[in-house]
Amino acid sequence: MDDRISAGPNSEGRLIRPYTMTGGRTGADQPYIALEALVCATPTGVRNKHQFRWEAARIIDLSRKETAIVEIAARLDVPIGVVRVVVADLAHRGAVQISEPPSDVPASLEGYTYTTLLQKVLDGIKSL
Amino acid sequence: MESRASRPRLTPVKIVVAGGFGVGKTTFVGAISEIEPLRSEAIMTQASVGVDELFANTGKTTTTVAMDFGRISLKNNLVLYLFGTPGQDRFHFMWNELAKGAIGAVVLVDTRRLDSCFAAVDFFEKRETPFLVAVNTFHGERQHSVAEVREALAVSPGVPMVYCDARRRLDVQAVLVQLVEHALARALEEVTAP
Repeated sequence: MDDRISAGPNSEGRLIRPYTMTGGRTGADQPYIALEALVCATPTGVRNKHQFRWEAARIIDLSRKETAIVEIAARLDVPIGVVRVVVADLAHRGAVQISEPPSDVPASLEGYTYTTLLQKVLDGIKSL
Repeated sequence: MESRASRPRLTPVKIVVAGGFGVGKTTFVGAISEIEPLRSEAIMTQASVGVDELFANTGKTTTTVAMDFGRISLKNNLVLYLFGTPGQDRFHFMWNELAKGAIGAVVLVDTRRLDSCFAAVDFFEKRETPFLVAVNTFHGERQHSVAEVREALAVSPGVPMVYCDARRRLDVQAVLVQLVEHALARALEEVTAP
Protein backbone atom coordinates (compact mmCIF):
# COMPACT_ATOMS: atom_id res chain seq x y z
CA MET A 1 0.00 0.00 0.00
CA ASP A 2 1.16 3.44 -0.78
CA ASP A 3 1.10 5.45 2.40
CA ARG A 4 2.17 8.69 0.86
CA ILE A 5 -0.21 11.39 -0.13
CA SER A 6 0.31 14.80 -1.59
CA ALA A 7 -1.03 17.75 0.28
CA GLY A 8 -3.49 18.17 -2.54
CA PRO A 9 -5.13 21.19 -4.05
CA ASN A 10 -6.78 22.23 -0.80
CA SER A 11 -3.57 23.19 0.86
CA GLU A 12 -2.66 25.91 -1.56
CA GLY A 13 -1.55 29.01 0.20
CA ARG A 14 0.10 27.16 3.03
CA LEU A 15 3.77 27.91 3.44
CA ILE A 16 4.55 24.33 4.20
CA ARG A 17 2.62 21.43 2.83
CA PRO A 18 1.13 19.61 5.80
CA TYR A 19 2.54 16.23 4.94
CA THR A 20 6.03 17.60 4.75
CA MET A 21 5.71 17.85 8.52
CA THR A 22 4.93 14.21 8.93
CA GLY A 23 7.46 12.88 6.48
CA GLY A 24 4.69 11.84 4.14
CA ARG A 25 2.81 9.75 6.68
CA THR A 26 -0.94 10.13 6.55
CA GLY A 27 -1.97 8.76 9.89
CA ALA A 28 -3.30 5.48 8.50
CA ASP A 29 -0.60 3.65 10.42
CA GLN A 30 -1.16 5.65 13.60
CA PRO A 31 -3.44 4.82 16.50
CA TYR A 32 -6.74 6.66 16.56
CA ILE A 33 -6.71 9.67 18.87
CA ALA A 34 -10.06 11.31 19.66
CA LEU A 35 -10.60 14.89 18.50
CA GLU A 36 -11.10 16.00 22.10
CA ALA A 37 -8.28 13.89 23.58
CA LEU A 38 -6.04 16.12 25.68
CA VAL A 39 -2.34 16.43 25.09
CA CYS A 40 -0.05 17.28 27.99
CA ALA A 41 3.67 17.95 27.61
CA THR A 42 5.89 15.95 29.95
CA PRO A 43 8.87 17.50 31.73
CA THR A 44 11.05 15.41 29.42
CA GLY A 45 9.25 16.82 26.40
CA VAL A 46 9.66 20.39 27.60
CA ARG A 47 13.34 19.83 28.42
CA ASN A 48 14.08 18.25 25.05
CA LYS A 49 11.91 20.52 22.99
CA HIS A 50 14.80 21.81 20.91
CA GLN A 51 15.52 18.31 19.65
CA PHE A 52 12.23 18.21 17.78
CA ARG A 53 11.20 19.75 14.51
CA TRP A 54 9.45 23.08 14.80
CA GLU A 55 5.90 21.74 14.51
CA ALA A 56 6.53 19.16 17.22
CA ALA A 57 8.18 21.81 19.36
CA ARG A 58 5.15 24.06 18.94
CA ILE A 59 2.86 21.24 19.99
CA ILE A 60 4.96 20.74 23.11
CA ASP A 61 4.67 24.47 23.83
CA LEU A 62 0.92 24.50 23.34
CA SER A 63 0.41 21.42 25.49
CA ARG A 64 2.25 22.77 28.49
CA LYS A 65 -1.35 23.53 29.33
CA GLU A 66 -3.49 20.49 28.52
CA THR A 67 -4.94 21.08 25.07
CA ALA A 68 -7.18 18.98 22.83
CA ILE A 69 -6.00 17.55 19.52
CA VAL A 70 -8.60 19.61 17.67
CA GLU A 71 -7.54 22.80 19.42
CA ILE A 72 -3.88 22.23 18.61
CA ALA A 73 -4.87 21.80 14.96
CA ALA A 74 -6.83 25.05 15.00
CA ARG A 75 -4.15 27.05 16.77
CA LEU A 76 -1.34 25.81 14.53
CA ASP A 77 -3.57 25.96 11.44
CA VAL A 78 -2.70 22.45 10.33
CA PRO A 79 -5.09 19.59 9.57
CA ILE A 80 -6.20 17.36 12.44
CA GLY A 81 -4.62 14.28 10.86
CA VAL A 82 -1.21 15.92 10.86
CA VAL A 83 -1.53 16.78 14.54
CA ARG A 84 -2.48 13.17 15.29
CA VAL A 85 0.60 11.87 13.55
CA VAL A 86 2.98 14.25 15.29
CA VAL A 87 1.33 13.82 18.70
CA ALA A 88 1.42 10.02 18.42
CA ASP A 89 5.11 10.32 17.64
CA LEU A 90 5.71 12.64 20.58
CA ALA A 91 3.80 10.31 22.90
CA HIS A 92 5.86 7.39 21.67
CA ARG A 93 8.99 9.34 22.58
CA GLY A 94 7.68 10.29 26.00
CA ALA A 95 7.44 13.99 25.20
CA VAL A 96 3.67 14.23 25.74
CA GLN A 97 0.92 12.27 27.45
CA ILE A 98 -2.49 11.79 25.88
CA SER A 99 -5.72 11.68 27.93
CA GLU A 100 -8.38 9.96 25.88
CA PRO A 101 -12.00 10.77 26.73
CA PRO A 102 -13.33 8.25 29.27
CA SER A 103 -16.44 7.63 27.18
CA ASP A 104 -14.15 6.20 24.50
CA VAL A 105 -12.20 4.05 26.90
CA PRO A 106 -14.57 2.59 29.51
CA ALA A 107 -11.68 0.83 31.24
CA SER A 108 -10.14 4.19 32.05
CA LEU A 109 -13.09 5.23 34.19
CA GLU A 110 -11.19 3.91 37.20
CA GLY A 111 -13.94 3.08 39.59
CA TYR A 112 -16.43 5.69 38.66
CA THR A 113 -19.03 4.76 36.18
CA TYR A 114 -20.28 6.52 33.12
CA THR A 115 -23.36 7.71 34.99
CA THR A 116 -21.15 9.26 37.64
CA LEU A 117 -19.23 11.05 34.91
CA LEU A 118 -22.48 12.35 33.39
CA GLN A 119 -23.65 13.52 36.81
CA LYS A 120 -20.42 15.48 37.23
CA VAL A 121 -20.78 17.02 33.78
CA LEU A 122 -24.35 17.97 34.63
CA ASP A 123 -23.32 19.56 37.93
CA GLY A 124 -20.55 21.38 36.11
CA ILE A 125 -22.80 22.87 33.45
CA LYS A 126 -25.44 23.85 36.02
CA SER A 127 -22.91 25.75 38.10
CA LEU A 128 -21.43 27.72 35.22
CA MET B 1 13.74 25.07 36.06
CA GLU B 2 10.89 22.67 35.45
CA SER B 3 7.79 23.93 33.71
CA ARG B 4 4.27 23.59 34.96
CA ALA B 5 3.81 20.78 32.48
CA SER B 6 3.61 17.60 34.46
CA ARG B 7 0.87 15.06 34.83
CA PRO B 8 -2.45 15.26 33.00
CA ARG B 9 -5.28 16.09 35.35
CA LEU B 10 -8.19 17.04 33.10
CA THR B 11 -10.83 14.75 31.64
CA PRO B 12 -12.21 15.69 28.21
CA VAL B 13 -15.86 15.21 27.23
CA LYS B 14 -17.79 16.44 24.23
CA ILE B 15 -21.22 17.39 22.96
CA VAL B 16 -22.12 17.70 19.28
CA VAL B 17 -24.22 20.56 17.92
CA ALA B 18 -25.84 19.55 14.65
CA GLY B 19 -28.33 21.04 12.23
CA GLY B 20 -28.55 22.44 8.76
CA PHE B 21 -26.25 25.00 7.22
CA GLY B 22 -26.74 28.47 8.68
CA VAL B 23 -29.02 27.41 11.52
CA GLY B 24 -26.82 29.03 14.16
CA LYS B 25 -24.59 26.20 15.39
CA THR B 26 -21.49 28.35 15.76
CA THR B 27 -23.55 31.08 17.42
CA PHE B 28 -24.83 28.47 19.88
CA VAL B 29 -21.30 27.27 20.64
CA GLY B 30 -19.96 30.82 20.90
CA ALA B 31 -22.68 31.86 23.35
CA ILE B 32 -21.26 29.64 26.09
CA SER B 33 -17.69 28.83 25.05
CA GLU B 34 -14.88 30.33 27.15
CA ILE B 35 -12.87 30.84 23.97
CA GLU B 36 -13.90 32.37 20.67
CA PRO B 37 -15.07 29.41 18.60
CA LEU B 38 -12.13 27.97 16.71
CA ARG B 39 -12.09 26.23 13.35
CA SER B 40 -10.03 23.22 12.51
CA GLU B 41 -9.77 21.23 9.34
CA ALA B 42 -9.55 17.60 8.47
CA ILE B 43 -8.43 16.41 5.08
CA MET B 44 -10.42 13.51 3.76
CA THR B 45 -9.57 11.36 0.81
CA GLN B 46 -12.37 10.33 -1.50
CA ALA B 47 -11.66 6.73 -0.61
CA SER B 48 -12.39 7.34 3.04
CA VAL B 49 -15.80 8.87 2.55
CA GLY B 50 -18.27 6.98 4.68
CA VAL B 51 -15.52 5.24 6.58
CA ASP B 52 -14.91 5.91 10.24
CA GLU B 53 -11.29 6.74 9.62
CA LEU B 54 -9.87 10.14 8.96
CA PHE B 55 -7.16 9.12 6.60
CA ALA B 56 -7.52 6.28 4.19
CA ASN B 57 -4.23 5.77 2.47
CA THR B 58 -5.44 4.83 -0.97
CA GLY B 59 -7.11 8.04 -2.02
CA LYS B 60 -5.99 10.04 -5.00
CA THR B 61 -8.00 13.14 -4.30
CA THR B 62 -8.61 14.95 -1.06
CA THR B 63 -11.24 17.29 0.30
CA THR B 64 -11.07 19.55 3.31
CA VAL B 65 -13.80 19.61 5.91
CA ALA B 66 -13.92 22.34 8.53
CA MET B 67 -15.57 22.20 11.92
CA ASP B 68 -16.09 24.87 14.52
CA PHE B 69 -15.77 24.16 18.20
CA GLY B 70 -15.63 25.80 21.59
CA ARG B 71 -14.45 24.85 25.05
CA ILE B 72 -15.92 25.10 28.54
CA SER B 73 -13.92 24.28 31.67
CA LEU B 74 -16.12 22.62 34.27
CA LYS B 75 -15.47 21.94 37.94
CA ASN B 76 -14.11 18.52 38.92
CA ASN B 77 -11.34 18.90 36.34
CA LEU B 78 -13.62 18.31 33.39
CA VAL B 79 -13.28 20.11 30.09
CA LEU B 80 -16.23 20.08 27.72
CA TYR B 81 -15.70 20.55 24.01
CA LEU B 82 -18.68 21.63 21.90
CA PHE B 83 -18.47 20.67 18.25
CA GLY B 84 -20.54 22.16 15.47
CA THR B 85 -21.06 19.66 12.68
CA PRO B 86 -20.09 20.71 9.18
CA GLY B 87 -23.36 21.89 7.68
CA GLN B 88 -23.20 20.72 4.10
CA ASP B 89 -24.66 17.33 3.31
CA ARG B 90 -21.52 16.23 1.56
CA PHE B 91 -19.69 16.30 4.86
CA HIS B 92 -21.94 13.90 6.70
CA PHE B 93 -19.16 11.33 6.75
CA MET B 94 -17.47 13.52 9.36
CA TRP B 95 -20.35 13.03 11.75
CA ASN B 96 -19.26 9.53 12.84
CA GLU B 97 -15.99 10.94 13.98
CA LEU B 98 -17.75 13.73 15.86
CA ALA B 99 -20.39 11.50 17.43
CA LYS B 100 -17.88 8.90 18.61
CA GLY B 101 -17.76 9.10 22.38
CA ALA B 102 -20.03 12.14 22.56
CA ILE B 103 -22.24 12.56 25.62
CA GLY B 104 -25.02 13.56 23.27
CA ALA B 105 -26.11 15.92 20.55
CA VAL B 106 -28.16 19.07 20.19
CA VAL B 107 -30.06 19.22 16.90
CA LEU B 108 -30.60 22.90 16.27
CA VAL B 109 -33.66 23.65 14.19
CA ASP B 110 -34.78 26.64 12.17
CA THR B 111 -38.54 26.30 11.76
CA ARG B 112 -38.37 28.07 8.41
CA ARG B 113 -36.15 25.26 7.13
CA LEU B 114 -37.23 22.18 9.04
CA ASP B 115 -36.10 19.82 6.31
CA SER B 116 -32.48 20.88 6.79
CA CYS B 117 -32.28 18.96 10.06
CA PHE B 118 -33.87 15.68 8.96
CA ALA B 119 -30.46 14.19 8.26
CA ALA B 120 -29.21 15.00 11.75
CA VAL B 121 -32.30 13.54 13.45
CA ASP B 122 -31.97 10.36 11.38
CA PHE B 123 -28.29 10.07 12.09
CA PHE B 124 -28.51 10.31 15.88
CA GLU B 125 -31.59 8.07 16.04
CA LYS B 126 -29.84 5.33 14.08
CA ARG B 127 -26.66 5.72 16.08
CA GLU B 128 -28.62 5.75 19.35
CA THR B 129 -26.77 8.86 20.47
CA PRO B 130 -28.83 10.73 23.10
CA PHE B 131 -30.07 13.94 21.50
CA LEU B 132 -32.63 16.68 21.85
CA VAL B 133 -34.15 19.10 19.40
CA ALA B 134 -33.65 22.79 20.14
CA VAL B 135 -35.84 25.12 18.13
CA ASN B 136 -33.84 28.28 17.56
CA THR B 137 -35.99 31.36 18.09
CA PHE B 138 -33.25 33.50 16.62
CA HIS B 139 -35.77 35.49 14.66
CA GLY B 140 -38.01 36.08 17.61
CA GLU B 141 -40.93 34.07 16.40
CA ARG B 142 -42.52 30.98 17.81
CA GLN B 143 -44.81 30.40 14.90
CA HIS B 144 -44.81 26.67 15.43
CA SER B 145 -45.64 24.85 18.62
CA VAL B 146 -43.24 22.24 19.91
CA ALA B 147 -45.91 19.65 19.12
CA GLU B 148 -46.07 20.80 15.51
CA VAL B 149 -42.32 20.66 15.12
CA ARG B 150 -42.22 17.23 16.73
CA GLU B 151 -44.80 15.97 14.30
CA ALA B 152 -43.09 17.52 11.31
CA LEU B 153 -39.75 15.99 12.27
CA ALA B 154 -41.33 12.67 13.26
CA VAL B 155 -39.10 12.35 16.31
CA SER B 156 -40.08 9.88 18.98
CA PRO B 157 -41.88 11.12 22.11
CA GLY B 158 -38.83 10.35 24.23
CA VAL B 159 -36.73 13.01 22.51
CA PRO B 160 -36.83 16.30 24.45
CA MET B 161 -37.76 19.40 22.47
CA VAL B 162 -37.03 22.90 23.65
CA TYR B 163 -36.99 26.48 22.44
CA CYS B 164 -33.80 28.47 22.67
CA ASP B 165 -32.23 31.65 21.43
CA ALA B 166 -28.79 30.47 20.32
CA ARG B 167 -27.35 33.90 21.08
CA ARG B 168 -28.28 33.78 24.75
CA ARG B 169 -25.87 32.12 27.11
CA LEU B 170 -28.56 31.17 29.64
CA ASP B 171 -30.67 29.55 26.93
CA VAL B 172 -27.70 27.55 25.68
CA GLN B 173 -26.80 26.52 29.19
CA ALA B 174 -30.37 25.33 29.79
CA VAL B 175 -30.29 23.30 26.57
CA LEU B 176 -27.04 21.62 27.59
CA VAL B 177 -28.45 20.85 31.05
CA GLN B 178 -31.49 19.21 29.47
CA LEU B 179 -29.34 17.23 27.07
CA VAL B 180 -27.07 15.85 29.79
CA GLU B 181 -30.09 15.07 31.99
CA HIS B 182 -31.56 13.17 29.05
CA ALA B 183 -28.28 11.30 28.45
CA LEU B 184 -28.04 10.51 32.16
CA ALA B 185 -31.61 9.17 32.25
CA ARG B 186 -30.82 6.98 29.24
CA ALA B 187 -27.60 5.71 30.81
CA LEU B 188 -29.39 4.92 34.08
CA GLU B 189 -32.06 2.99 32.16
CA GLU B 190 -29.34 0.90 30.57
CA VAL B 191 -27.72 0.25 33.93
CA THR B 192 -30.96 -0.88 35.54
CA ALA B 193 -32.35 -2.72 32.53
CA PRO B 194 -32.65 -6.47 33.15
